[in-house]
Amino acid sequence: MRRRVLVAMSGGVDSSVAAAMVREQGYDVVGVAMRLAPEPSGPIGKRRGTCCSHDDFEDARRVAERLDFPFYVIDLRADFAARVVDNFVIEYLGGRTPNPCVMCNREIKFDRLWSRARALGADYVATGHYARIEQGADGRFHLLRAADDSKDQSYFLFTLGQDELARTLFPLGAMTKTEVRARARALGLVTADKPESQEICFVPDGDYASFVERQSDFAQLRPGAVIDRDGRRLAAHTGVHRFTVGQRRGLGVASGERLYVREIRAESGEVVAGRREELDCAGLVANRISLVDDSIAPGRALGVEVKIRHRHRAIPATMRFDSGRRAEIRFASGGPAVTPGQACVFYRGEEVLGGGIIERAIAPEQAN
Amino acid sequence: MTKTVHEIYLDHNAGAPVRAEAAAAISRLIAEAGGNPASVHRAGQRSRRMLEVARAQVASIAGAEPRQMVFTSGGTESNNLAIFGAIGTAARRRKIITSQIEHSSILAPIAELERRGFDAVRVAPDSDGRIDPARVLAALDSETALVTLGLANSEVGTIQDLAPLASVCAEAGALFHIDAVQAAGRIPVDAAALGCDLMTLSGHKLGAPAGIGALYVRDFARIAPIVFGGPHEGGMRAGTPNLLGAVAFGAAAEAAMSAMAAERVRIGSLAASMLARLSEAIPGLRLNGPIAGRLPNTLNLTFPGVLGESMLIALDLEGVEVSMGSACAAGAVEPSHVLRAMGRSVADARSSLRISLGWNNTADEIETAAALIPQVWRRVTGAEPLAEASAR
Repeated sequence: MRRRVLVAMSGGVDSSVAAAMVREQGYDVVGVAMRLAPEPSGPIGKRRGTCCSHDDFEDARRVAERLDFPFYVIDLRADFAARVVDNFVIEYLGGRTPNPCVMCNREIKFDRLWSRARALGADYVATGHYARIEQGADGRFHLLRAADDSKDQSYFLFTLGQDELARTLFPLGAMTKTEVRARARALGLVTADKPESQEICFVPDGDYASFVERQSDFAQLRPGAVIDRDGRRLAAHTGVHRFTVGQRRGLGVASGERLYVREIRAESGEVVAGRREELDCAGLVANRISLVDDSIAPGRALGVEVKIRHRHRAIPATMRFDSGRRAEIRFASGGPAVTPGQACVFYRGEEVLGGGIIERAIAPEQAN
Repeated sequence: MTKTVHEIYLDHNAGAPVRAEAAAAISRLIAEAGGNPASVHRAGQRSRRMLEVARAQVASIAGAEPRQMVFTSGGTESNNLAIFGAIGTAARRRKIITSQIEHSSILAPIAELERRGFDAVRVAPDSDGRIDPARVLAALDSETALVTLGLANSEVGTIQDLAPLASVCAEAGALFHIDAVQAAGRIPVDAAALGCDLMTLSGHKLGAPAGIGALYVRDFARIAPIVFGGPHEGGMRAGTPNLLGAVAFGAAAEAAMSAMAAERVRIGSLAASMLARLSEAIPGLRLNGPIAGRLPNTLNLTFPGVLGESMLIALDLEGVEVSMGSACAAGAVEPSHVLRAMGRSVADARSSLRISLGWNNTADEIETAAALIPQVWRRVTGAEPLAEASAR
């Protein structure tokens, strides 16, 4: 009996080739496109495509027809709204900068979709993520960076534990993007030359602040003041959701020096601005820690490399986590600006050990 | 998708596989005819003769005279011709009466007419999907241009008692249209006895290919055409008729007609045994629609604790082909508006599937499907219980 794989297809080139790869490997492939975001609204012609647009579904369907496996559109809009979009809005309202792709992977692609996969008799879920899964001699699964460093998406996948890795396939992990496109062209897939999707899929115009405002009550917004480190009021603002730590534009402050958002205090509505060098941190506190390698014991300090933004390089740090799923991370040398709400992922070389959500920065003067 | 498993096709209300009789008629036509039935020459005459034979065959499933049958491209066009054709002759009248459980090819034209300033009344059904004629009567007045109702509902199979309506419509001066797409060829349908002015038929529900339908028009003077061009179809539908479709429709109609009495019993008992088997194996399974007064082939079932979407896909992967609600433009399934109108919750509508049998289903297939469906239901409830499936 051939093992059945549910392939999550977005209509892009990566998931198209992922499907082709598992098909070639002899699996019984079932393609699904997930309807996640609400339909794009607004006047015809001004609607921007999202990863859930009809055109993308049609592209995925054409790939499935070409490769001759069954394909279905499944409706996970309610799950996506409750588990990803609401979290996104709440985080912004709380003065944090969420990473919805991490949330979508954890809640939708490797949890909700897995339930659907089992309901459909599938043994695995496959996606077009650039990351590798390897099983060690002891049977444990390791999550590794992609072969193509420029496309590596392991940062978004730190929530996958041993159970999830055991039932997940990343067929593109060993390929470069160039190879993926070449394979798509060789197979005659309509998605071969499709451009990359960049924006967050449910905010196709990239205007997060307006999205948060549309999705919340006026009373939930936290307007207030931009202040300096001494508490002096520099400007008024219409809500903390309009700011992210490290941001320079949009402070509304006329100042001789360049000012950046240093800290957001959601309760008081205060946005603290400071000079570039004031952003530097000694480390951070993260919560909702999730370990890929569940043999790591709490309490012990562990030397890791930590990545606190998808586009950042991993930097050396010491990590110590407690049984309450919180961790303290100390950078080996002066660290970059730390943005609460973003994911903080621990690596050792190629391997993802785990990660969490950044709760707050540890200021340099607090450092031991 | 290439066939890899033995497929048990239980979606005849969406469209039936082509009958051998229909395929043979198509082959014969290709071999023998070849002219435009409107042409003067002998090739045209041969085509015309075949078209007229088909017209008579199709008329027989509706209790109609052949000259009253207008070939169209299908049920949707017939319904559009009935609706827009009716308002085309009713200059003063601005009201249309229908029900909430009609097919989209009725509801969408009426919604379009509302945009153009017409009034629409959509009568609610009872919890079994029956339309009370008294409710139609209550809405009927001298402003009413058209009353349009389905004879048998496509999703739940409820058969309506429409006979009382013809005379009251006539008294009010309104045209009366019956959408008999799901009924014709399955149960006896008699347009003359029903007394309607217009009746829609479709070929591919009976085993002709899609792309051919017909509209019974009692009196051509009462409706206006919506497609203009040549003098085809008595001036009611311009355009060279779909001769291939028409002869296939005729052959399928004749086959359905001659087998109807036996097939009603055979398919009815297959459906009944399926329902009995499923009810026994699935606690809390609910049949939507009435126990009696339903199409013999249609079972609309609410499966407790699962998303219909998951059941539909899981069954398809096992080779059992059923349906649910209607597909949106993206290809995802939406909860049935018929079940919602019958008072079912969105959650129940999302847990419901339509199983519709037809001419090619065998006792073995129904046996296999009746064993597979509970297995799949148990797997889906175990893997994806509804509390988790929060798409509700």
